[in-house]
Amino acid sequence: MIEAILQLLNPIAAYGVPVMIVLMLVALGGLFSERSGVVNIALEGIMVMGGFVGAMVIYYMTVTHDYPLQLAVVFGLISGAVAGMVFSLAHAFASVTMNSNQIISATALNLFAPAISVFTARTFYINPATRQATDKIIISASYRLNIPFLQHIPVLGRFLFTNAFLSTFIGLGVLVVVTIVFKKTRLGLRIQSCGENPHAADSLGINVYKVRYIGILLSGLLAGLGGATYLISFHNGFDGTVHGLGFLSLAILISGQWKPVRVFVFAVVFAFMYVIQSQYDSLALFRNLTLPRQIYQMMPYVMTLVILAIFSKESQAPKAIGEPYDASKR
Amino acid sequence: MKKLFLFLLAFGFMFGLAACGTRDDDVEKTKIALITDYGDIDDESFNQGTWEGILAYAEQHGMEIEYFRPAEVSDADYIDSIDLAVELGFGIIVTPGFLFQRAIYESQNTHPDVKFILLDAQPRDATGNFVVGPNTLSIFYDEHESGFLAGYAAVMEGFTNLGFMGGIAVPAVVRFGIGFIAGAYYAALQEEVELVFPNNRYDYLGTFNAGPGVETQAAGWFDDGTEVIFAAAGGAGLSVMSAATDKDAWMIGVDVDQSGLSERVMTSAMKALAASVQLALDSYYIDEDFAGGETWYLGAANDGVALPFETSRFETFTEAQYNEIFALLADGTIEVPATYAELVAFFEDLDILDLLLIEQDTVSPPPSG
Repeated sequence: MIEAILQLLNPIAAYGVPVMIVLMLVALGGLFSERSGVVNIALEGIMVMGGFVGAMVIYYMTVTHDYPLQLAVVFGLISGAVAGMVFSLAHAFASVTMNSNQIISATALNLFAPAISVFTARTFYINPATRQATDKIIISASYRLNIPFLQHIPVLGRFLFTNAFLSTFIGLGVLVVVTIVFKKTRLGLRIQSCGENPHAADSLGINVYKVRYIGILLSGLLAGLGGATYLISFHNGFDGTVHGLGFLSLAILISGQWKPVRVFVFAVVFAFMYVIQSQYDSLALFRNLTLPRQIYQMMPYVMTLVILAIFSKESQAPKAIGEPYDASKR
Repeated sequence: MKKLFLFLLAFGFMFGLAACGTRDDDVEKTKIALITDYGDIDDESFNQGTWEGILAYAEQHGMEIEYFRPAEVSDADYIDSIDLAVELGFGIIVTPGFLFQRAIYESQNTHPDVKFILLDAQPRDATGNFVVGPNTLSIFYDEHESGFLAGYAAVMEGFTNLGFMGGIAVPAVVRFGIGFIAGAYYAALQEEVELVFPNNRYDYLGTFNAGPGVETQAAGWFDDGTEVIFAAAGGAGLSVMSAATDKDAWMIGVDVDQSGLSERVMTSAMKALAASVQLALDSYYIDEDFAGGETWYLGAANDGVALPFETSRFETFTEAQYNEIFALLADGTIEVPATYAELVAFFEDLDILDLLLIEQDTVSPPPSG
């Protein structure tokens, strides 16, 4: 039994941790937007944009030119984050400035992102073998690295510092920063106040529009970073999709009741499920249960439904979420 | 009411015109189109192998080529793409893919002036009869022989812990898998080694596309002791390569020589996509006698399958051994099974039926829904 549990460590370290970081980054992104009162189901689309721009930068640095891999990763992550932020500006403009329906504008982003990225890729990239335009940006290198000394720490070294991604540490850093921002800083409290009672916030001199803009842009930044992280974690390059991880992040955000630490916990749980989903028949612990594969495949989604059902009674969603702010109604 | 009538009249007129348009096609012989059934032409395997064959041919003979990708995976969309290609004047249309069997049946009748080269399938009418029209050439490959060679090579190379990942259980992929099992056990019997190839190491992924799920699953198999995975899964093979790279394990590619894609590609179970299409084009352009109405079956006997020995990363399996086993397939001494029933018979003949752990439902899953 203990052996069977220890056997779990390996896939969790190799795939669970990167998936967890991606889910957490994107969910924390959603947190900024939703806490400021703007629903953001555009996370999936923003991730696609982040992954796309990150892929272009990494392709340029490692395939076209010969920069060191990890340097390319750094620039790829930064550019992915910036791209996500710029892209989310459209959502901010539509839902804050123009007071449009937040679901509609976010859906537009979700539909637009894969289309524009595939179109742009096809404009710029020619597959040398087929001599035709391609929408795949292949950057098939392994971006994993071992951290000297730290990788020998028992358990933790295996989890975090062996075959790790640079993005893992960035992700954990982001978690700490986001937690502090929401607990301790003025900006965090302002964002929350705009999500709970924007009219009250406005009466106290807070510019609701500005704060909501900041919330959405930060969510774009983190979702874009998450998209680029996803790209380097599974190294087949960009092919126009992030396989639904953006929507899963949304589920994590809601399950985590819009609280950073809880979001982290649920990201861990979902990442674990994600690994089990494709590895159940490689792990003695689960193989011996001889359940049909469909059970494992639906587990994350069933779990989402169950968790939402349980927490829906005491849901702590921001009170003003989804409502365009109209100063004249004060 | 009157307006409605006029509208219907105009509508009917348009359809009438469209119907006229398809009856007498104005196509050019030197324009070759390829239409994909699933995925893009840069899938690094089936579609791309076919495309590269056409590309090389076109460059050599100065033909005009283009490829089309239907909007969705459906007969209606396939037919739309074919109609579009015909409208643009393409005189010869190559359709790699089993899923084209219905669409080509329809199109070979509506476009009698257009030549069709259908790979992996025969045109099939609504009642399930196969009808290869006079303007259609069907080409099948003996994937089971290719898979056999791959399985044989893997075991002769010293690997005993094997896995198979197919894309979707279409006939060609199933044949690759069955051949792989047969080849592996044939070599194991010959070398007197014991194989680990349980039922849960034979799987259809449900996709031909790369993705994190495939990579994670392959990594799990490798962690659990699998040494080689044969991935007959188109682009999803890239994910298996990624996992093999991370785990320092091996994978076997499919359809075309995939050795250039990763250092961890041991060999590739090839089928002669490019060569066969070029042969078919030759029959049209050089012999001026298109092999319409025919069905070609290409296997070891007529160079339809092979392992790319030059680029394979074998250490103990020698070219002499490869040529030996290839000759046995080519002259029919070994009849490689192509269906599960034949696989069972194959194992019975070798008297090792008790070693076959992979079940019928795993290999040929019952059609769902």
